[in-house]
Amino acid sequence: MLRERILAALAPRRTVHAHCDIPCGIYDPHGAEIAAKTVSKMVALIQDGWAEGGRVEPGSQADLEVRNKVIRCVKVKEEHAELCKRELQVLWSDYFKPEHLEKHPDLHDRFWKALKQAGKCKQSVDAAAAAELEAQVARIADVFWETKGGRPS
Amino acid sequence: MIVVGESMRPTLEPGDWLLVDPDAYQRRAPRARELIVAPDPRDPARVLVKRVAAVDLDGRLLLAGDDREASTDSRTFGAVEAGAVQGRAWFRVRPLGRFGPVR
Repeated sequence: MLRERILAALAPRRTVHAHCDIPCGIYDPHGAEIAAKTVSKMVALIQDGWAEGGRVEPGSQADLEVRNKVIRCVKVKEEHAELCKRELQVLWSDYFKPEHLEKHPDLHDRFWKALKQAGKCKQSVDAAAAAELEAQVARIADVFWETKGGRPS
Repeated sequence: MIVVGESMRPTLEPGDWLLVDPDAYQRRAPRARELIVAPDPRDPARVLVKRVAAVDLDGRLLLAGDDREASTDSRTFGAVEAGAVQGRAWFRVRPLGRFGPVR
C-alpha cells in the first residue's frame, strides 16, 4: 500500500509513445473460419449436383445446367481453400510472435497441418477432409483468442 | 517519461520509466542509433520515442521503431527536423530488473 503510494508519487507525469498506427486488433481468425466453412458447404453442393447429374438425361439442357452448377461450386471451393490459406498465412507471419510460440510450442505444426489440409480440400471432394480443415482452423482460432485473453462476446 | 505502445520492443517495453535528457542536443545534432523523443509530426501534442535510423544530408532525421512490424515512423510520416527533437532517452528507471542506460 505504502509502496504503491510512493511509486504513484514518483511516477513520471508524461508519456512517450512507441506508437503504431496499425493496432494488432485488425487480425482476426474469422476470415479463415468462414473460408473453411465455405469449403465444407461447397463439398456438399458438389456432391448434391453430382447425384442430380446421374438422374438427368445425358446431353440434355438439364445435364448442362447441372454440370454448370457443379463447376461453379468447384471454383468457389478452390477459391475459398486458397483464401483460407492466405488468411492463415497472415495470422502466422504477421500476428503471432515468438512469445506466443513459447506458450504454444505446437503452433507452427498447427499452421503447417491446416495449410496442407486446405490443399487436400482443393484436390478432393471429401466432406471428411473439409470437416478436418474446419477443425484445424478452429484450433488455431482457439490459440489466437487465448493470446487475446478470451473470445469477444 | 512512461513508455506507451510496443513499437520499440524489445528495447523499450510498455510501462518502462525513462529519463530523457532535454539538453542532449544543445551542442550537437542527434546521431544515428540514438533513442530520441520528438513530437509526432501528424499530432504534435503526442510525443514519440523512436530510434534515429539515419540522418539525411539536410540534417533531417529518419526515425524508426525497433519493432518494424508494430511501428509507425518515418516510413509513414517522413523525415523529422533535427530541431524538433525534445531530448534523448538515455536511462531506464523501471522496471528495476532492467535499470540502467538504454541504447
